[in-house]
Amino acid sequence: MANPPPAPLLSVRHVGLCYRYQKSVFARHKSRIMALHDVTFDLFEGEKLGIIGRNGSGKSTLMKILAKIFEPDGGAVVYSRPLHVQLLSLGVGFEGSLSGRENAVLNGMLLGKSRRHMLSRLDKIKDFSELGEFFDLPVATYSTGMGARLGFAVAMETEPDVLLIDEILGVGDARFAAKSQAALQEKFGGKHTVILISHDAATIKKMCTRAVWIESGRTVMEGDVGTVADAYTKAVQADDVRAVHELRAD
Amino acid sequence: MLKELTAPGGLRWQLKSWARYRDIVWYRTLAGLKSEARRNYLGYVWFLLEPAITTATMYLVYVLIFQSGGPARVAMLLVGTIVWQWFESSVMQGMQGIRGKLHIMLHFTLPKYIFPLVGIFTNTWKFLCVFVVLLGACALCGFPPTAALSYLPLVLAAQLIFIIGLTLPLAIAVAYMNDVTTVTSAIFRLLMFLSGVFFSASQVPDAARFYFYLNPMAGIIEAYRSVMLEHAAPNLYALLYAILCGLILGLIGLFWCAYVDGKILKRVNG
Repeated sequence: MANPPPAPLLSVRHVGLCYRYQKSVFARHKSRIMALHDVTFDLFEGEKLGIIGRNGSGKSTLMKILAKIFEPDGGAVVYSRPLHVQLLSLGVGFEGSLSGRENAVLNGMLLGKSRRHMLSRLDKIKDFSELGEFFDLPVATYSTGMGARLGFAVAMETEPDVLLIDEILGVGDARFAAKSQAALQEKFGGKHTVILISHDAATIKKMCTRAVWIESGRTVMEGDVGTVADAYTKAVQADDVRAVHELRAD
Repeated sequence: MLKELTAPGGLRWQLKSWARYRDIVWYRTLAGLKSEARRNYLGYVWFLLEPAITTATMYLVYVLIFQSGGPARVAMLLVGTIVWQWFESSVMQGMQGIRGKLHIMLHFTLPKYIFPLVGIFTNTWKFLCVFVVLLGACALCGFPPTAALSYLPLVLAAQLIFIIGLTLPLAIAVAYMNDVTTVTSAIFRLLMFLSGVFFSASQVPDAARFYFYLNPMAGIIEAYRSVMLEHAAPNLYALLYAILCGLILGLIGLFWCAYVDGKILKRVNG
């Protein structure tokens, strides 16, 4: 007898979302914009799911729904158990007046971890970020690269149930970028559940096992990464050719 | 078995999440104080120096130049002014807590009351420094500390509860409509003159006294003067009224936070 298919860890069902712009007495512009119309897909435990789509297709909005920052206006997200879903945001919420050490704890708490958990990870964060004595200096004294290194080191120590990555990021100088890519590869290679969003089919093909293609706030295709990425690439190329013809006709 | 996702925002989540997020409030309050101190060469010294200069100015103007009322008048004005400043600056800073931190809240799942509380607590720590100077100034003006000061924690707690309660719904209102900031600022300017900051409650005509005390800050300022200048117990009914107002407003704010939690950022994000 065949085994039943595994239950999804998280299931997105016909999700829609509408942004409401701030109304003004003198406003003439449209005050509502539908960012998502109907998005449906499943995410399974340990899966590396790619969400692919062009700029403005609603990928980042979808990430914020999955991270529980936005509540969908239509449809629902259903899950198998309470999940810690974390958006990889490097250095967001850092306080310039606090030291790297204090910011590491603060940032980890913003990411949903306890103070005690972050305190126990401080040595690893210091080592990974390679900040040395700067770790105890105010973050305001850091270069952009140093801030990103600290942010990345913190993010790697928070161990969420589902990690959401909005485009693969190159962090710091070439050496640290390679180190951060390796750390991400480890997440992609291990048991972690990861969702990667990108407009680049090659990145999705390289990092993920399955993919969902979103266009104008709707799911176009879900399935094997090769099939979805190829279909997306063809559609983008066809649109590019059409655009060139239209330009020539003009 | 799959369960429908309940966005983190229910009232229960708002209350339960406090234990998880209170450390964030503490760290960010610390950051607020540090960054304010680092703006100046003298750093934290200004937290004490600034009220000391205000006190000296008032003494110079009222006692030495105009000779109107003497040290007692200075002490009365100082208590009213400093207590009002804590109230006004905390509410004004706290009510920007959501709108001013949208860039952070768009990346993390956080209860919306976190940043308003940070604004309030940053101001409260500064106020506590100022309060030490105020106690010293009162002693210099002929009002040394007495046993009546044992009521002080109660008065401070009543004011803090009222500040938090008032700030929470205002912070959400400001996130939706920034105009609320201007309106609140105008109302505070009016209320400052009607709360007994510059006069004693005993100078209010009997016919107007009921309306005077409708404003919880009037009772609170009078309570400070009772324990610090008159060495008497404060009017406990006035404090109870302020606490009740704070709790009711705070509950409204929490319910509102719970209702708008997953919606508010979509709305103001545009």
